[in-house]
Amino acid sequence: MKSLKNHLSVIFPLFVLLFSLQFSFLSNQIVKDYAKKLTEDYTIVVVAPKILSQAVIQSRVSGIKSIQEISSKNILDRLKGNISSKNISLLKIALPKFYSIKLQSFPNMTEIERIKQKLLKSGLVSKVETFSKTHDKIYRMFESLKNTAFVFSVFIVIISVLLMFKQMRIWLLEHKERMSIMTLFGAPFWMKSAVLYRLVIVDSFISTFLVGIVFVVLPQIDKINEFAKTMDVKIPQFDLIYDSVTLLGISLAFSLFIVSLVLRKMNKE
Amino acid sequence: MEHVIEAENLTLSYGRDEPVIIEANLKISPNEFVFITGKSGSGKSTLLKSMYGELVPRKGDLNICGVGIKNISGSKLNLLRRYLGIVFQDYRLINDWTVEKNVMLPLMIGGFSKGVCVKQAQKLLKHVKLIHKADKYPYELSGGEQQRVAMARALAHNPVMILADEPTGNLDEYSSEVIWDLLKNAKEHLGTTVVVVTHHIPSTLGIDYKHFFLESGVVYEVS
Repeated sequence: MKSLKNHLSVIFPLFVLLFSLQFSFLSNQIVKDYAKKLTEDYTIVVVAPKILSQAVIQSRVSGIKSIQEISSKNILDRLKGNISSKNISLLKIALPKFYSIKLQSFPNMTEIERIKQKLLKSGLVSKVETFSKTHDKIYRMFESLKNTAFVFSVFIVIISVLLMFKQMRIWLLEHKERMSIMTLFGAPFWMKSAVLYRLVIVDSFISTFLVGIVFVVLPQIDKINEFAKTMDVKIPQFDLIYDSVTLLGISLAFSLFIVSLVLRKMNKE
Repeated sequence: MEHVIEAENLTLSYGRDEPVIIEANLKISPNEFVFITGKSGSGKSTLLKSMYGELVPRKGDLNICGVGIKNISGSKLNLLRRYLGIVFQDYRLINDWTVEKNVMLPLMIGGFSKGVCVKQAQKLLKHVKLIHKADKYPYELSGGEQQRVAMARALAHNPVMILADEPTGNLDEYSSEVIWDLLKNAKEHLGTTVVVVTHHIPSTLGIDYKHFFLESGVVYEVS
């Protein structure tokens, strides 16, 4: 019973820590995917008097991923009934070229303004439409989502670190007597500390396993998936090898560090 | 080795407080049975503590098994303690270890295999008449039984010297007899040096012993 209590008191803070870290990784991934999606959806429309080459415009303005010509066929087709075909042909030559520009990453307002000014100063385009008002709204939403996820993760990590340190104090009391008795019989440091090291190593594996289960099961729950769909995001899958090894590594490093701190303190006393 | 314990002008104190032991001189030879007596608060336990290195001399010298305690390093002290068997007044058993594992402790520290540790622990538990309680935990035993376990632990690794602090202090007649028999046997059959701090020297011990008496921090040898 006491042994189970000992294990639980280590597993709980470790679980909270790993859960918050994995949650933070997950939300970062969701935010990244969302930014990618927003970038794909966002376009700048430019009007150019002459044909634009992608290579030329990329050499003049950085951050541009691709350009695509917007066909003027639709506009001309609408005018066909009202204007003679000769005039249509003349209009076709006289009409400026329209292009949609895709960017490499999701820009903030300063970045949009910089691209706009560069495009205008390049002499290649006569007008730039950045749809900045709509973009600004989306960008602010995106930023607040990112910041909320970050603040939440930091908050949980702090709580779990505090929990671990509190646990450390309990260990200090619980193991002090045993270690002092062992010291009086000449036990070497490794032997006195073996119990604690064994405890945290085993509990690191258990905590990683439990967190793994939670994040494997989470994307399978219909309600969560529906919620994600309404938010237009996809919950990333838990990578059994990569994510498990990362979490186990963090858990071991963190718990072994804390135990070493405790033991150092005990040894000094 | 001529003396297992040799103290010269030994002064002991806790921190900067008044000295508890003042300029003590004592010599204990191998295989001697020694009693240290004195009133409560006379410094008996303090003197014993210095013998297993829990208290460092403030002045003078103290050699245990040829090792100077004054400036001893942590690793050397660890090594020295492996040759000692200590019995504490308050037993100091590890409460979340079974009785058997408690007795095995000095053997585990000595690096013996688990098989050897178990065999020796069981042998000693038979000696102290507690083999039937090998799987119990210390908190499930009476005071007398706990002290017998502590005695078995002190003897488990056949130490060069046993240092016992009031080993029969609060025990019933039966447990006291078992303890004295074990200490006597250790001296007679294993050649162990035995140093016992006590209020009363048992009249029925039936062996030669040396006697130091403490009064107001001064150690006198009683002839």
